[in-house]
Amino acid sequence: MLRFALRRAASAVLTLLGVLALVFGLVSAAPGDAASLAARAGGNRAVPVSPEALAAFRHLYGLDRPVSERFVTWGWRALRLDFGLSLVDGQPVAARVARALPTTLTLNLAALFLACLVGVPLGVATARRPGGRLDRISGFVCDALFSTPTFVLGLVLLLVFSGWLRVAPLFADAETGLSGFMLPVVTLTLASLALVARFVRVCVAAALADPAARAGRARGEGPPAEIRRALRRSSAPFAAMGAALVPSVVSGSILVERVFSLPGAGGLLAESVFARDLPTVLALTLLSAAIVVAASLGADLVTAALDPRAARADDALPGIAP
Amino acid sequence: MKKLALVAAAVLLCACGMRGKSQDSVVRRRLDGEPKTLNPILATSDAEQIVLALLERNLLDYDEKLDLVPGLAEEVEGSPDHLVYTIRLRKDARWEDGTPVTSLDVVFTLTTLLDPKAPALTRRALFDGFVKAEAVDARTARVVFTSAAAGRRDAFNLPLLSAAAWAGGDVATHPRNRNPLANGPYRLGSWEAGRTLTLVRNTQYFGEKPAPEQVIFRVVPENAPAFAALESGAIDEMRLSFARMKELEAKAGMPGVPRVVTFDELAYSYLGWNNRLPVFADRRVRRALTMLIDRESIGRNLYGGLAKLANGPLPPAHWAWDASLAPWPYDPKAAEALLDEAGFRKGPDGLRRKGSLRLSFTLSLGMGSDIQRQIVELTQLSYRKAGVEMAIQPLEWAAFMAKMDAGELEAWAAALNLDPYPDLSVSWHSAQVPPNGSNAAFYRNPDVDALLDRLKTTFGREEARALLARAQALIHEDEPVTFLNTPLIRWGVSSRLTNVRTSPIGLFMFWPGAAGWRTSATTGPIS
Repeated sequence: MLRFALRRAASAVLTLLGVLALVFGLVSAAPGDAASLAARAGGNRAVPVSPEALAAFRHLYGLDRPVSERFVTWGWRALRLDFGLSLVDGQPVAARVARALPTTLTLNLAALFLACLVGVPLGVATARRPGGRLDRISGFVCDALFSTPTFVLGLVLLLVFSGWLRVAPLFADAETGLSGFMLPVVTLTLASLALVARFVRVCVAAALADPAARAGRARGEGPPAEIRRALRRSSAPFAAMGAALVPSVVSGSILVERVFSLPGAGGLLAESVFARDLPTVLALTLLSAAIVVAASLGADLVTAALDPRAARADDALPGIAP
Repeated sequence: MKKLALVAAAVLLCACGMRGKSQDSVVRRRLDGEPKTLNPILATSDAEQIVLALLERNLLDYDEKLDLVPGLAEEVEGSPDHLVYTIRLRKDARWEDGTPVTSLDVVFTLTTLLDPKAPALTRRALFDGFVKAEAVDARTARVVFTSAAAGRRDAFNLPLLSAAAWAGGDVATHPRNRNPLANGPYRLGSWEAGRTLTLVRNTQYFGEKPAPEQVIFRVVPENAPAFAALESGAIDEMRLSFARMKELEAKAGMPGVPRVVTFDELAYSYLGWNNRLPVFADRRVRRALTMLIDRESIGRNLYGGLAKLANGPLPPAHWAWDASLAPWPYDPKAAEALLDEAGFRKGPDGLRRKGSLRLSFTLSLGMGSDIQRQIVELTQLSYRKAGVEMAIQPLEWAAFMAKMDAGELEAWAAALNLDPYPDLSVSWHSAQVPPNGSNAAFYRNPDVDALLDRLKTTFGREEARALLARAQALIHEDEPVTFLNTPLIRWGVSSRLTNVRTSPIGLFMFWPGAAGWRTSATTGPIS
């Protein structure tokens, strides 16, 4: 098990490095850089900007150095938790990220919690009576939610509840307090709810159809015990689902933050990509990739702990086994 | 019991009064992005300029007719040879901490602006030929140049940095960039990152105090929530799309519905042709491409009738615009005849060819504008009927701008915003083709070059107008790009705001701009 955990951790670190190198390469190779965008800020303006001024700007921020050199320098500094300065406002990237992070974390954690709070019981209830009225209604609603883009869902909720009915604040700020987070959290929750509810339904239904479950029922096991057993048997797939949910929630929050004018890390990432602010893009990529990789690693470890065959099978892979 | 009721009534009245005052003396405005800096010489984006317009006066300001008027400077006087400019500051100009605005601030600002280590890109070119800036006395500064330039006085539409506040640090990362020292009608009260910036009246301001006590800027990136906020009164102004404008006009007259303010802007939309490519090398082809587009119908249907036809490189809002220049008409038959004349004849497949050269190209556009996309799609249909093959390539904005700046695009759709004293050389002089400048059409006409060179040292407005008229006519004849429309800009403004004036550079960037706004409760200026 320890060997398995170490191997998975090493692979997670390699994945992280690969993601960073890829993002660094892609953003560097994309047409346009922070200098030309700064010269064009505010749109297409007929303002003279000399090539010398652009060159001075690039030199100032080291944009004229080779990509590989910049990546190594960035990596070396990042190891010491120095993420450099933003090319957009000259502020330390760590401070910009730290300012944006609480909003995103609050939003995502609340949404995940609520999605599980509602989705798991709903999934269990529909699994117990497949094809029943609740199953059909929830299937329809979940399919609709699953196929609606988060951006559209958020916009509809905002216009109905804030713009039309005026029962929720339009913006989240010190004045509105937590109520300002209500609609963004509901949007993200609904976006995840469909996945959680349907996944739980499938896992629990499979567990309930298992011969072990039938044997339990023959032994006189009541519904609560039966559900507990089914949930326990589904723990490994649940862990995998949790890991799969993290990236979708992280990417969904980029759009939700924009619709609800929330200054979170998602909005900052989108803005930084458009502005070619590489230091900020890399810091946020490192953070989000670390969260996703950690979730995946956690899921692998939980699965291995629940079902040691998974770890043993992994150990026995050709070329890896001792 | 009676006493209790009286006290309760008094408390209620007080509360209502306080609420009424605080609501009515506050203007709530929208920013579509958060300012990255409030350093006036580094600021470039609209959001930054809009906030700074209330915090900092310029040495000279534009008024609503775009004439330069005194700001921090009582006077900026050029020497007869236009090489030396003497700036005389107002006696009563002060920073918000009470210290006077001095000539040292002028010298510090110019030295910082022109330091290659400062990432100030957009203002620097206006000071080409700068030699030195020196303080003559506390209120007088002198700026020396090696060469004379006609638009030089406009360069002094320049905000200042306080030498005391900004000294001793890297200007790119200076803490003052997020906490500037103001000399204008407002000062920065607070900045809640990513959400709001609150400006409060600057008690040290030398001029007429603005009527609203506070201006709260709220960052709302998306238009749909911003419009909901405008309708509910959570914000007092925003730029409108045509659809939103129609929505407000349909409700006009109903209580509390924002009114629509429209104005001509120093801007036009166009389709750019890369004149270097063989397909666009002949001006008959370029004219034909213009004449195949029904721009009047575009103005009527996509801009709700609120767009004028563009006839050349200056929009109607510019003082030198030549109204006598007739835009190329929509005339598909004549356009096809021009294409035939240029040697591009229709083949059996319906496509035009000149020898082995097909009249085929890719038109790129930056993603984001629905109207632009619709114009391009309509153009594609018209072109197809005439045997012109045009592919459409939407690009992410930064990639689009980078390719345009590099001269890599075959054809593109864009809008161009001009400054109050636009230097037409930037877009039309042959010396400014990429990578040296923004002449992405690779337009070359020695006569136009000569006119633009002469304009640089033509100081009389009437003489400049005549030269600009000639340049417009030549560019119009060559039609290096298809000049499309100059749409009216639409703004939704809360019904409680009064004295909202406009200029060709918008609602905010002239003096007094938003500093002159009043709310229903603040009918007059505060003396």
